[in-house]
Amino acid sequence: MAYEEPIRDYDRIVENCTCAFCGCNCDDLTYLVKNEHVVGVRHACRLGASKIMEDMDQRLLVPLIRNEAGELVETDWDTALDKAAELIANSVRPVFYGWSETSIETMKQGIKLGEYVGAVLDNQATICHGPSLQAVQNSGYPVNTLGEVKNRADMIVYTGSNAMNSHPRHLARYAAFPRGYFRKKGRFDRTIVTMDPRYTDTAKMSDIWVGFNPNGDYEFYTALRAVLRGKKLKEDKVSGIPRETIEELAEAMKTTEYGCLFFGLGLTHSLAKQRNIDAGIRLIQDLNKYSKWNLIPMRGHFNVNGFNIFMSFEMGFPYGVDFSRGYPRYMNGETNTIDLLTREEVDVFMVIAADPGAHFPGGANRHLANIPVIQIDIHWGPSTELADVVLPGSFVGVEVAGTSYRMDGVPIYMKKAIDKPETCRDDEWIVRELYERVQKIKGEKIASK
Amino acid sequence: MTYVDKPAVPNVVKYDEPMAIKRDKLKVILNTGSDIYQGACKKRGSTLKDEYRHVSGTAYMDPRDMARLDVKNWDTALVKTDWGEVVVFTAHSRDAPHEGQIFICKGPWANVVVSPDTYCCCDPTYKGVDATIEKTDEEPLLMADLMAKVYMKYDKDAEKSINHLTDKRINVGITKPEE
Repeated sequence: MAYEEPIRDYDRIVENCTCAFCGCNCDDLTYLVKNEHVVGVRHACRLGASKIMEDMDQRLLVPLIRNEAGELVETDWDTALDKAAELIANSVRPVFYGWSETSIETMKQGIKLGEYVGAVLDNQATICHGPSLQAVQNSGYPVNTLGEVKNRADMIVYTGSNAMNSHPRHLARYAAFPRGYFRKKGRFDRTIVTMDPRYTDTAKMSDIWVGFNPNGDYEFYTALRAVLRGKKLKEDKVSGIPRETIEELAEAMKTTEYGCLFFGLGLTHSLAKQRNIDAGIRLIQDLNKYSKWNLIPMRGHFNVNGFNIFMSFEMGFPYGVDFSRGYPRYMNGETNTIDLLTREEVDVFMVIAADPGAHFPGGANRHLANIPVIQIDIHWGPSTELADVVLPGSFVGVEVAGTSYRMDGVPIYMKKAIDKPETCRDDEWIVRELYERVQKIKGEKIASK
Repeated sequence: MTYVDKPAVPNVVKYDEPMAIKRDKLKVILNTGSDIYQGACKKRGSTLKDEYRHVSGTAYMDPRDMARLDVKNWDTALVKTDWGEVVVFTAHSRDAPHEGQIFICKGPWANVVVSPDTYCCCDPTYKGVDATIEKTDEEPLLMADLMAKVYMKYDKDAEKSINHLTDKRINVGITKPEE
């Protein structure tokens, strides 16, 4: 890549900011600010930097409502909020989806609203690490923090995850390269193993690549567990991996001092879904007979873990919580966004800090074309093309402060660096305002009866 | 420099593959997921731009498969599954070799062809979907055009025939009362 001049043209520096991109929540970023816009970011990866130095061309600045002709037209906050509140108040089966790119403070208001109208509250875990949470309920959660990994781990396993592409600083800041208290030589003290059917960028820089067959995860982990328990494999190859390699790998995993397994969407999106992770967790439990092993799911958004932790704490269930009966209920395959959409049950869909247009399968999105969609977001994205009411929010971690949870469950307070555009509002304010307006509409309805 | 016109991909090398007969259509396994170009473009918010079409609407293929299909980098191909069909670019995969598999980054293009079946595990099947790929002359659509053409939400007199989704639905019984 061509040489780039360092950025010297800025007004002020804001230090120790937290990145609002992936589950790593790197909290050592420095923003270079000019005219209340971040023009440069130090220490961030390409993903974090590009998100923080956002594209102002596509920033949503004013509330929009879809008119009769099907075009989004600008409107004022009162009209847009009233319209959204009316849609929510008159709905029978509303779904509030998203929450992973906003703060815990906003979720608090969201729970109030959801409980009041009997909605389903769901977050991005439903299309990424939902099966992991089910597996955790099945098999347990032998988790550690990233600090322990940095200081102690001498074997790192990435499975079904391409950290170099989706969590670029994960290797540099927590797992592979940093010099820890017991790992003075950094990368040279650690063995990196990647288990992935694709020869990914992470596989290219690791010491061992285990390229099992697509959808062969479960088979491979079961074979590995069998070897760990002293069984002899009868087959020459399991899931495309020779028997000797599996035995060698099992031996290496047994003799390490401290290991950590990071698993990603390769496991949750292939056919065995939560059973893959079940097998992974049980593998860790077996390995703990010989050595110290832990695992961490590679969470995608900076606060996707936050919603799960917050929801579990408040309501007892991590995601897909249904309030339609007046009490929280959770049933996989029934109260999850994708299932509700493919069954065409939903009648109002509110998406907050998420993008179903870009991430839901077409079979689920086709129902969004039949129902009103309310969007709270900062950028004009694929979901805006399907939205009827658009409420411009603000950027948590840059324009507003808020709490988020890292992938290992460590809460981090993200500070405010710049002022938000004048016409935008805090996500927290928007959801609270919706709650108050819905209360008013429902109250009037009861009074008129 | 965070903007890219197109992701950097290796050039297709001519393979000596006596068995590689030219085909019009290949049966492949479709995987979707994210990569760094797609992530950076999506999260920056540049989804209406041409860059997003290149980073997200591209099928990364094994060079041998590309030779069989007679496509080069940034040619276009039609991907079909049980769930729909979509026109995407083709490019040499950085993760090659993976014969018989194609990788499309997540985004509106991949969504048209992945399976919404969750098997009651809340997660749709984004990886390992059976698909076919064939060469085409059509251009992949920009994001806004694609959303309009596939979902037809605000298109009152749209012809159903141009919808890129198939009529296939998951069998969940009768959800609407018959009138």
